[in-house]
Amino acid sequence: MIVSHAILKNWRNFQEVNVALGDRVFLAGPNASGKSNFLDVFRFLRDIAKPGGGLQQAVSNRGSISQIRCLAATREPNLEIEVHLASAAGKSPDWKYAIGIKQEVRGYRQPLLTFERVWRGDDLLLDRPDDSDKQDVLRLTQTHLEQINANTKFREIAKFFEAVLYLHLVPQLVRYPNAFAGPGLAGDPFGRSFLERVAKTPQKTRKSRLRKIESALRLAVPQLTQLADTKDEAGVPHLEAVYKHWRFKGAKQREDQFSDGTLRLIGLLWSLLEGDSLLLLEEPELSLNSGIVSRLPGLLYRLQRQKKRQIILSTHSSDLLSDKGIGGEEVLLLTPSPGGTQIEAASSIEEVRALLEGGLSVADAALPRTVPHSVDHLELFK
Amino acid sequence: MAPIPINLAVEDLLSEAVLRKILRYSGRPYAIGTCFCKGGYDYLKRGILGFNNAAKATPFLVLTDLDRAECPPVLLKKWLPYPKHPNLIFRVAVKEVEAWLLAHRDAFAKFLGIQRRLIPPNADDISDPKQLLPSLARKSKKRQLREAIVPSLGSTARIGPDYNGRLIFFIEAAWDVTAAMQNSNSLQRTVQAITNFHPQWGEMA
Repeated sequence: MIVSHAILKNWRNFQEVNVALGDRVFLAGPNASGKSNFLDVFRFLRDIAKPGGGLQQAVSNRGSISQIRCLAATREPNLEIEVHLASAAGKSPDWKYAIGIKQEVRGYRQPLLTFERVWRGDDLLLDRPDDSDKQDVLRLTQTHLEQINANTKFREIAKFFEAVLYLHLVPQLVRYPNAFAGPGLAGDPFGRSFLERVAKTPQKTRKSRLRKIESALRLAVPQLTQLADTKDEAGVPHLEAVYKHWRFKGAKQREDQFSDGTLRLIGLLWSLLEGDSLLLLEEPELSLNSGIVSRLPGLLYRLQRQKKRQIILSTHSSDLLSDKGIGGEEVLLLTPSPGGTQIEAASSIEEVRALLEGGLSVADAALPRTVPHSVDHLELFK
Repeated sequence: MAPIPINLAVEDLLSEAVLRKILRYSGRPYAIGTCFCKGGYDYLKRGILGFNNAAKATPFLVLTDLDRAECPPVLLKKWLPYPKHPNLIFRVAVKEVEAWLLAHRDAFAKFLGIQRRLIPPNADDISDPKQLLPSLARKSKKRQLREAIVPSLGSTARIGPDYNGRLIFFIEAAWDVTAAMQNSNSLQRTVQAITNFHPQWGEMA
């Protein structure tokens, strides 16, 4: 199942969004245009649906409603999210889920639902607020999505949201998890407990994934062989590989000696092999050599195809978007404006479409539009 | 035999894979150094003076597609007004490198699972190989292969999402230089040039 459509109102940078999504989606736009905030919609739904999660926690993880609400939202104070889930791109949706959220006007200023609706196909299964909600307003602090008793009829979508995986691995966090004290973040977005995640995977699966990753790594980082997981005396999990050098046996190295690029590539490949849920990737090109980056779209496609999973990624990389196999309809361009960021498929912009049809790659046709207009003034900056 | 160091300069990943295969096939002790590939012919065109100059130190093998140019010598003259250094091997695929893959008709037909007669017998005569290849793949009954090579319906992309990946696999696994040469004159001449190449060092060069 994939998210085939996203409709947003007043979500962070966006006042209004209505976009179709395919098997893979490339988000491109200037800095601070809202690429990560768009990905955050799906993380937000995951935070609602996951065990121990819920609407209140999903909002408080992000501060408060006023921090999530679009600054340009003046007319309508409410936040709205609607997503459609379909078996494949372009198919009519099997499920639709929609919620509206506002902030309590006085008192605890809790987030409250203005509505929650679920459709299976075209049948409306849930339509809140219902009579009981009207009698007991406190009920509106929770979605039915987060409650096992209430979501029986649409458990499938709760499971779907719960499994959403987000990765923005920060190599320093993997290397020095102890240097960053405090409780980890929900869903471990930055890979602080990445090694634990690897260690907790059943042995057979773990070994086979690591073998696969090693064979890919060998092409990208030829000096590195025999990638394996191990535990130190204190039982702390580590990754280990043999770094070939002039000595016959090479030298064993642990993750704290791996390069940024090696760690990010391991994290990327691991998350691609892990599960079949919606995968959100934040700038997968970071720290990687351009020769590898230009081959990423094909690699992602091959690995996602095996599991029929959807990938939504943000990128600034011209190397990545130079792949001529990427269609303009797969790229969403984010354009900031005073009224909030606009999102549209690159191919829906006439000029970009004409450039694409003239044989330009998405990188050549669409990326120049993401350069801020005032950037030339940087030359004058002293 | 002393190894012959050589750098490559190509338009795309497919051309790189083809050249690597031919270099291996040649039986000569080529040692490939750097591959210059930034996508597209304009990069090669811009870089040709540099490649020609650098050929003094390390031989360069440049492969480009003829596309709409009249013929290879005209193309070279346009690109490189200077005398060509003897260590620069400049080759042109007629009309595009995809034609060289199609030139091994049996293997390509088997790869796609289509009839051999659908592939033109003389590869150099194919007017638009980049367009013909996906349209042949569209006839393939192998769904995954088809979806990887052919762009999805309504897409602005001209090739599928794993076009390079699948075709490079074909080059590595099934494409035979000897067989393909029979059906492509431009490939045959390229193979000959690579097989007979002797780098010139010192004063002469």
